[in-house]
Parts: sequence; structure tokens; C-alpha cells
Amino acid sequence: MRRLASALWFGAVPLCAQFEFFETRIRPVLASQCYSCHGPEKASGGLRLDSKAALLAGGSRGTALIAGNPESSLILKALSHRDPALKMPPAGKLPDTVIEGFREWIRHGAEDPREEAVSMAPQVAIDWDRARRHWSFQPIRSVAPPPTAGRTSIDRFIRARLDAAGLTPVAPASKAVLLRRASYDLLGLPPSPDELRAFLADPSPRSFEHAVDRMLASPHYGERWARHWLDLVRFAETGGHEFDFYRYEAWRYRDYVIRAFNQDLPYNRFVTEHIAGDLLPRHEQRLAQAAGHWDTPIGAGYLGLGEERNGATDLEEVRTELRDSRIDVFGKAFLGLTIACARCHDHKFDPITTADYYALGGIFDSARTTLGSVASPAVLERTEAALARHPAPPAPQPKPLALRPGDELLALDGFHVSGSAFAHPAPGLLDSSRGRSNRLTGIMISRGFVPVHRYIHVLVAGTKFNPVREEPSLLGVTIFAPGRYPKGVAGSGDRRLRWKTITLKEEINQICHLEIADRLHDGHLAVRAIVMSNVKEPPPDPEETLAALAGSPELEAALPVEPFARVTYEDVPRDLRIQIRGSHHSPGALTGRRFLQLFDSKPEDYRDGSGRLKLSTDLTEGNNPLLARVLVNRVWKHHFGEGLTSTVDNFGRTGERPSHPELLDYLAHGFIEDGWSLKRLHRRIVLSDTYRQSSEESSQAAALDPSNRLLSHMSVRRLDAESIRDGILAVAGSLDGGALGPSVRPHIAPNQDGRGKPDSGPLDGNGRRSVYFEIRRNFLPAMLLAFDYPSPTSTAGKRGVSTVPAQALALMNNPFVTRQASNWARRATAAESDTGKRLDAMFQAAYARLPEPAERDGILTFLHNGGAWDEVAHVLLTAAEFYFVR
Amino acid sequence: MPSRRHFLQLAAAALHAEYAAAETSRAIAPLAERKPHQTPRAKAMIFLFMDGGVSHVDSFDPKPRLQRETGQPLPLARPKLVRADSSILLGSPFSFRKYGACGADVSELFPHVGARADDLCIVRSMAADHSEHTAANYFMHSGSGLQGRPSMGSWVTFGLGSPSRNLPGYVVLDNSMIPPGGLDIFGSGFLPASYQGSLFRNAPQPVADLAPSETPERQRAKMDLRRQLDRGALTRFGQASQMEAAVANYELAFRMQSAVPELADISGETAATRRLYGLDDPQTEEFGRSCLLARRLIERGVRFVELLSPKRDGFDRWDQHANLKTGHATNARATDKPIAGLLADLKTRGLLDSTLVLWSGEFGRTPTAQGSGDAIGRDHHPYAFTCWLAGGGVKGGLTYGATDEYGFYVAENRVHVHDLHATVLHLLGLDHKQLTYPFSGRQVRLTDVHGEIVRPLLA
Repeated sequence: MRRLASALWFGAVPLCAQFEFFETRIRPVLASQCYSCHGPEKASGGLRLDSKAALLAGGSRGTALIAGNPESSLILKALSHRDPALKMPPAGKLPDTVIEGFREWIRHGAEDPREEAVSMAPQVAIDWDRARRHWSFQPIRSVAPPPTAGRTSIDRFIRARLDAAGLTPVAPASKAVLLRRASYDLLGLPPSPDELRAFLADPSPRSFEHAVDRMLASPHYGERWARHWLDLVRFAETGGHEFDFYRYEAWRYRDYVIRAFNQDLPYNRFVTEHIAGDLLPRHEQRLAQAAGHWDTPIGAGYLGLGEERNGATDLEEVRTELRDSRIDVFGKAFLGLTIACARCHDHKFDPITTADYYALGGIFDSARTTLGSVASPAVLERTEAALARHPAPPAPQPKPLALRPGDELLALDGFHVSGSAFAHPAPGLLDSSRGRSNRLTGIMISRGFVPVHRYIHVLVAGTKFNPVREEPSLLGVTIFAPGRYPKGVAGSGDRRLRWKTITLKEEINQICHLEIADRLHDGHLAVRAIVMSNVKEPPPDPEETLAALAGSPELEAALPVEPFARVTYEDVPRDLRIQIRGSHHSPGALTGRRFLQLFDSKPEDYRDGSGRLKLSTDLTEGNNPLLARVLVNRVWKHHFGEGLTSTVDNFGRTGERPSHPELLDYLAHGFIEDGWSLKRLHRRIVLSDTYRQSSEESSQAAALDPSNRLLSHMSVRRLDAESIRDGILAVAGSLDGGALGPSVRPHIAPNQDGRGKPDSGPLDGNGRRSVYFEIRRNFLPAMLLAFDYPSPTSTAGKRGVSTVPAQALALMNNPFVTRQASNWARRATAAESDTGKRLDAMFQAAYARLPEPAERDGILTFLHNGGAWDEVAHVLLTAAEFYFVR
Repeated sequence: MPSRRHFLQLAAAALHAEYAAAETSRAIAPLAERKPHQTPRAKAMIFLFMDGGVSHVDSFDPKPRLQRETGQPLPLARPKLVRADSSILLGSPFSFRKYGACGADVSELFPHVGARADDLCIVRSMAADHSEHTAANYFMHSGSGLQGRPSMGSWVTFGLGSPSRNLPGYVVLDNSMIPPGGLDIFGSGFLPASYQGSLFRNAPQPVADLAPSETPERQRAKMDLRRQLDRGALTRFGQASQMEAAVANYELAFRMQSAVPELADISGETAATRRLYGLDDPQTEEFGRSCLLARRLIERGVRFVELLSPKRDGFDRWDQHANLKTGHATNARATDKPIAGLLADLKTRGLLDSTLVLWSGEFGRTPTAQGSGDAIGRDHHPYAFTCWLAGGGVKGGLTYGATDEYGFYVAENRVHVHDLHATVLHLLGLDHKQLTYPFSGRQVRLTDVHGEIVRPLLA
């Protein structure tokens, strides 16, 4: 009863009475005197007065009203005509009684029942039945191929449309052309001369099938296809914005994707792990055995890979933008839906409501992506076994804390604990060394909370460490608010416990979280108490020093390294309010967490935690046909250069209808039947005759189907940035086979500049494939950028294919290219002394063919006229044939 | 008889074909000159981007009442979200006087620019949306506070192409001071990469990979051999407009290798010209060179040139949270004469009529103080600030819009950044509502869903 009473009363005046006051004294004045200039038709000075939110949001002069403070409220100043520059209404001052009414209303808290702004045009409701009829929302059908001629089902679907258009498919490509094409498609690398020779020598009618199986089993397959996926989730290892802060361990997500592709992890499982991997039962979680860590929880870490904001003023705006990036990528990458369009208004074309947007936003806001130990049980067992052989010294009795009235001791039981450092704390002490070794690592992460105190006093000892300005923390007790620099404390470089104080300002009344972390292999953090307080001075110093470390060299040697990764945890579940017109200054109705209304999703099914687990099943098991269709279309796009639906990230009404809708369904259906296996899907596609066609376009096709949507032949395609660079390394014999692991820093060109500029990496990237480049948002690898590497800001299912002078300049003059050319020339010369045979070998390596007589003559003449083999190699690497496939 | 529906389908197909044709030609010749939407008033644009935010009340917007009440609390309600606790009024340490026949008010920071007042169209009622540098920089350039949207120069070259055969269409002249937000400020976002700003450094090698490591003869011999191979490949591969473009691209790159050094070689400029830009003074030499290069770029047919603030030890950029007086004086000293020289030179050469010049920061600075004593400064202020335009199609000698008596809020004729963008595009012959690109399921514009052309600024 008490609760009810407090909810109904506001200050001294009952709320119902306040509303009545508003309805009789305030609203009529606003409506008759103000709305015409500050309402739905016009918002002079950016100000509207027709809703509570708009009034609070204010206009160009700032908020129009401060509840409880009439004298500071602009609206009252304007009404009272005190300021000659601000007199409202302009036609003349209103009667004093009216102005007094406003003063009184504001003083009592300015209660205002107007949740929704006055609308000019009634919102046009979505016609759900009609909207659901859109092609991409239809269930996936099991379609039989048409009775046309054709070796595989795919060929029959393609043939049927060609027949109808009066076109005929061209002849198959030569074996060498086919192998080069498939090799770049599946591996992102040219076939090696040995692979080419073996393939050409294999007389079996199934020789191509065998070659495809070999490629699908190659670890390079995962490296190639992971890169396509990374484009979809705007993968990067820094936060961009002003300082481009580095994100520790972000590269592990890249490895997670590579492993998933190489293991042919079923796509529905892959998606489930991306949404809710951390919530799956332990027996359903996968280990990355070789790397010594859990793999599954890393998937959902993708949520936190977007851009961040440095030093923002408006933290709610930052939260809004982080959320928007998550919804945007989630919608496009998995569903091919531009859900983010519904942020400010219901989607103009697709059946996606603003409520859908905030319902999904609530799910993502109820989870937190940060760093956690993902050490495998085997690794943790090794740690515990080593520690067991070196017993801890007896824990000293903690001295009592002399807390003052109002001080609040923070309970640490709600924290998410990972790693060994804080796994078995002694009573009253978190000690990352556990009394024995600074090598131990671990992290504790609180759930979101809203600080109300101004100070956090931490009784702390250990390594002296200044908290870095990036998330997550390396060592210390640190508080994080989105968009603000973290604030933290650590020890003073010894084992003496001292009070250290964090002063809060912007964090107060924002959703924050606290981390207690020691991720340094030689770091130490001991925490006796965390006290929230409004008193600036900390409580009295208990003058306590921790006992010396009782470790040993044997223990140090026996302790394994515990891997960390960016993972997603459950946070406090929270529903969001709709933001009217997308502005967080105008909160609207509360929206229960759920998936899209289009798929009949209901909030009552989303009550379990954040709802991510339910979301993953709604995506993969529900009546949602988009997941498989969108993915199958992406794979098709990477094999043919264009998707069956060319708008690969947009299957909504503004997207393109598929050129072969039945084929798309046939593939999607087969994909699901095949257990969502990508490798089987590749096999199905590349073993078709359609894929094996040559690129020779008939004049008929050029006239009737210039964009080759009907696939009467194979399209010529420029290689993507990574394949060009990796191809150069491969041909030059400089490719380092090393897979996975920490990224290699790209070479920073002299004209790349700006804040957060990193040291330059090696010119040749240590010979590693481009997928292993460290991706810094503000310093993207220059050579990749020239060849349309996408800005990692949103889903990029389809990269641009531009032609810019920077490309030709890089190929002509960049020392990476010229040095690789020299490497290649040197190796080719050492391997083959005969000029003609050397040339043959080089053409085989670069183009998978032998030189034409005219080409041979041209090169011999070039050499004869003083040309060097380095130069020949350089020309071969930069001729268009090298970076185009047919 | 064809139905209305049939007719519409035909029309849509024709439109689509036209669009597809335009896209194809863009793919082959991305910078080929394109027809504007309407008759342009200017052919090229120079954007003098005053990174960090120039204080309007210290430069072009004198405020006597602010001056009188300096030290007193700001009597206006401040916006809810401000960065620092600054609510004490701070009058300008700089004196103002009237310049030109128009009598424009310009402070002692800009005597040379002031002398060109009759060419300037000063807008005192600018407003932007963001109060931190990075988002504000993105916003001033792309109409969005987010990273990854096409910059103004990208939109302009996308819409119009560029007449230069040897140089990129959108060139950014950098003085080793990339503003917060990085190179994405000049990025082409979702537009093709051909339209991204090309960064030319104020250095011996202005462009990456520009200098061949071989003699021109050897390079030419290799070019010839490559061309022979490429000719064969074009036949072998068949249908390949994109491949043709890639082959032709070597020729542009080859020409750039000599065009850029030729551009950067100012030995042919007369002593008078050098003095005009302040090249004879170490204080003005760096930015003067940028301004001179801007003119040379425009002469060579480059469509959009952007200049960035010079590096000044201790006072980089206009971001004077502290030491307003020294910092603004230092930055003004480095840029005032070169900018005035650029305006004068363009005019003398008859280029000002066809070149639109825009001078602006990403926001202004607070009329209130930050810090105290000699080190006093001003904070970021997007709620009101000043920019100016000059040249092609704008009304010279005009001071437009007004702030309140303290320079805190816009009081009349508010010009939002979206409006500025709409106006700039209009002057260049582009309709901001027609200049669109499909992204994220809709036709996206520089002005998002906003923007009104500010007609009173037009000549």
C-alpha cells in the first residue's frame, strides 16, 4: 500500500490534481496562444510546445522548462516579457493571472500528461496482410527444377529463363580458367603451379569435383570466407572516432569466424552463437582446443565491435548510437532487413514498426559486451593443479573498516567472474595473485547500475597502473559509462592497502558498470573494499599490508596463459521507451522486448533474461524464411559477382526482386536440408555447369541481357583487395602459411595521418594473408583501402568496385609491390635457368596459362632492350589479367 | 491500348535504364563531367575548413552587451548538454571595426580578410548539432554526425564529375593536421571510392606512391609492355568495361606522376603573387602555400578543394579552450593574409565569379569563459556561429542573420548546416533533393531529410 501511495503522490500536491490544473489552466493557453508557431505545423526556433517531451527538449535556446524552477524556465521568462530579446507571445503579454498559473504549475513539478505530440497527419497503419505477401517473407518452398535440359538442378533453373529469353549458355571454360576462378572464389588465392599441373593431368571426369573438395578442406577456405563475413559485422580492432582506441583481443573474433567456416559449423548454429552463445548450456559449447579456450561465447562478441564515441557530452545519445549500430548490423547481416530505418518512424516501405526497433533495442541493451577469460577447463585445471602444489599462506584477518554514516559497502556477489585470479577469493579480500603469483589473470564485471554517490573509495594494493582510456581495463577497479573515458584506480606499486578515490560526475544517474581486472601477466591487484560515498575523504586508513608473495619459480613455470576474448554477458533486463522521432529527448511508450511483429513475436516469450536465447531460436527455427534465403544469396553473389537478389543486404520492398526466385528457394531449402552446411552449398553451386561456363559473351546476350542477370556466361570480375595482395604474395613465393593468432600491424603510409596513429608495421605484413591485418578504423590498410576495402561502419555485403588512380599508383610505385616482384624474379630465376621455361612458369603462376607467342616475343624484346626480370615480374603482377578473374 | 499502368512501367523501365546507363558510365569514367541539375553559379569550390572552431564573437559577430557584461553570469538558460561549467560572460579581447563599402564588422584578427568585406557574404546565424569535434567534423562535412557518410566534396564530384584529366576531382590540402575523425571526414562513404578526397600533403611528396623508383624511360617501357599484355587480356576476357577502365587508369596515374609535381612547383609564380599569399613571411608561408596551391588546383580543373588549418606550435587548430587571445591571434595571423591573397588573386584572374569559397569551422565558441586569468578561453559552441562565403553566385557585402545580444543563440534567420549544404549544392548547379544515392534501402542525400536553400545569400 505504501508503494501505491508514493506512486500517486508527487510532492505535496496529488498528481491527479496536478493534471487537472494542467488541463484547465495550462493546456488551453498553450493550444490557443502557442501551438500555431510551436506546434505540428511550425517549430519556430526549433521549439515545439505540444508535448511534454518537446517542451523539455526545448529549441535552439535550450530546454524551455525546468520543472520545479519557474525562474530558470525560459517559457516563463518569455511569457513575462522580462527580456527584451525574448517576448512571447510576440503580439502582447498575456494577463498576469495566466502567467502566475504557469509559475505555479512549474513550481509544482510541471506535470504534463501529453505523452504524444499532436500529429498533423494520422500515422498510416501498416497493412499487415498485404505486407506479409512480400516475396521474401513467404515461406521457403521446396521447388522442383523445371523440366528443362540441364545437368544439375541449378542448371535447369538457369536454363529455363535463358530459353524463355531466347539465349543459350556458352561453352564450358577451359580447365585452367575454371581452376583459377574456383581457387580465387573458394580460397582467395591463385592455384599453385603444382595444383594446376595435377588438375590438368587428371583425366577423371570428376577431376574438378576432387579439386573443389581439396579446396573446401584447405584452411585457406576459412580465411577467405571469414573475410566476407567480417564485412557484414563491421569488424575492426579499434573504436574509431577521435582517438581510435585499440580493442584488446578483438582479433579472436576473426579467428572464431575462420575456425567456424573451416569446421563447417552449421549456419543456424553459427547464428545462434552470435546471438546467445554465452547462454547455451555448457555441453553445447565448443572449444577451440588448440588455442586453449572456449570458442562459442566469442560469437556474440560481434555486438561490441562497432564504433565508439570519445569524450561525448550526451551519454544517452551515445547509448542510442551504439544500440543503433547493433540493430542495423543485426537486421542487415542476418535478415537482409533495414530495421534501423524504423528508429524515428515506422519503416516507410517494410512492415517494421518503431516499436519493433525499440523492442529489439531492449534485447541488445540487456546484454553487455566486454572482455572475459575464455580459458578452457583444461587450462584452468592446470592453473588450479599448480596452485594446489603451492599452498597459500594463511589469510590475515581483515581489519574492521570504520565506515561513516551514508557510506555503502559494495557487495561483489552480483559480478560475473572469469579467469583464475578472482576465482576463489579469501574472505574479505580479492587478491589477483592469490598470495602466490602475479601471473594469474582474471576479471570481474558488474551488471549495469546507476551510481547515485559522488565518490567511490577503493581500499586497494598492488601494481601501480594508470587506467588506460580504452575499454576494457587492463588492471584496476574501473567504472565505465558509455562514451566517457573510464575512471579507475589501482595500487601504488606495493602490497600496502590504501584508499584510492574515483570522483564521479557525468556518470551519476547514467547506467554504468564496474570492472575489477588484472589481465597483466606480471600485474597484481588486491581489493579489500569498495565504498560508495558522498563524502570526499575516504574512511580511515586501516594501515594494513598484505603478506609477501609465497610463490616460486616452479609455480611461475607451471602456470599457463589464460586467453581472454570479447564476449557478451547478460545484463539487467530492461525494456526501452520508443524515442519519438528518434530523439532520446522525446521518450514515448515503453516497449516490451521481442523480435519483429512481422513474425508474430510477443513480449511474453521474451521474459527470460535479455531474451537473446529466444531471439536465436526465433531466427533459426521460427517461421522466418529470411535467414537461409539471405545467406544463400550471399554465397551465390560471391561465386557469380551478383546475387540472385542484387541488393544482398536488403530483402525488403526497396530491395530488388530475385532474378530466379525458384532457384533461390531451391537453394535455401536444400541448404536447410543439408544441415545448414555452407561447404555443401558451395559444392552444389560450383559443380553446376552454370558455374563452369566460360566468360565469352555472345552478341545476343550482350544485346538482350547486358548485365548478365540470366547468366548465359560467367561474368568477368575484378579481384577484391585482399585477393590482389594475397595473390601477389602467393605468386612471389612470399606467403606465410601461418594461420590464426594476433594481428599483424599494416604498413602505415607517410600520408596517413591523424590522432591515434600507430607505429607502422612491416612492409610485407610478414607475408601473412590480409585477413590477419590489424584493422584500425582510422588507419585502414592503405593498399586495401585503394581497392575498395569497406569502411567498417555498417554491413557491407557488397563491396564497391571502383577505379581510382591510387590503385594504379600503388601497383606501379608501392615498394610492397616492387619488392614482391623482385622476390618473384629472384625465385623464378633460381628455379629455372632456361628463359622460355622460366617465362612459362611465371605465366602459369600468375595467369594459370602459358604465354602466347606474341607475348613471349614482346617480353623477349623487352629483355633484349635492357629490361630486367624484376621488371618483367612487376609488369606481370600489375597487368589487368592478374587482378581480374573470368 | 496501353494502360496507364503499362505506361508507368515503361516510364519506370526507361528511368531505370537511364540510371543504369549513368552508373555504367560512372564505373568507366567516374570523373567524366556530368550535366548539373540547373545552371550553376559556380564551377568549383574551395572550402577553407577552420578546424577546431573559430570564436564568432571574436571574429565577425561583435556583441557590445557581452562586452559590457563581461564577468557577469550568463542571463540565458543554457542548453541542457554543455561540456564544461562555463556560465560567466567573456567579452572579446579583440576590437572590431567596419570594413568596405558595406561596413561589415570584422575584428582585428582579420584585417586582410576584412579588407575584402565587399566580396564576403557573412552568415552570423549558423547552427549545428554537435558539441564535440569528431561528430561535428563529420556533420559539417557529411550532414551526419556518424562516421562513414560521404563528404560534401564527394557528393559534389559524384554529381558533377571533374574537368581535370590529370588530377583527382576532390583534393584536400593537409598541413599535417588531420582533424579529429580522421580521413573519414573526407571519405566517400557509400559512394564509389573514386569520389573520396585525395589528400595532398604540404610536403615534397604530396601523394602516396607518386614517385616511381625508376627512370621515366624504364617506366614507359614497362607501361608499353603492360599495355601489350592488357590488350591481349581485353580480347581474351571479352565483355569487360571495368577492365578497360583499369587499363586506362594507368594512364591517369602516369599523368598524375608529373601533374602533381608540376602543380606543387610554384617556381613560376611571380614575386608579387608570392607576396600576395604571404610566402615571404614565415608566419604565413605554410598556409599561403596551401592557398596558392588551391588556386593552381582550380586553374587545373579540379572541382573541389579543401584546406585544413596549419600546424601552430602550442595552438594547433582554433580550439582555444585556454589562451583564447594568443591562440586565436596566432591562428589568424597564419591564415588571414593568405586567405585575403587567395580572394584577391582569384578575382584578378577572373576566377572568383566561377569559384565558390566557404570559410567555416565545425562550430563556434561559447560567449562564456572557460578557465580564468590570462589563460582564459572559450568552449565549443554549436548553437550559434559564423561562416562566410565568397565568389560564385553569392551576394558580396552582405551580413546575414543575427545572434542574440550575447552571441549565444541564433536570434534571426537561422541557417542550419543542412541549409548551408543545400545552398552550396544549389550554387554549384545541384539540387540537394535530386542528388541521391541508394543506401540502406533508401535514397540518401547530403542534406538527409532536411535543408532549405538560403535564397537571400544568392546574388
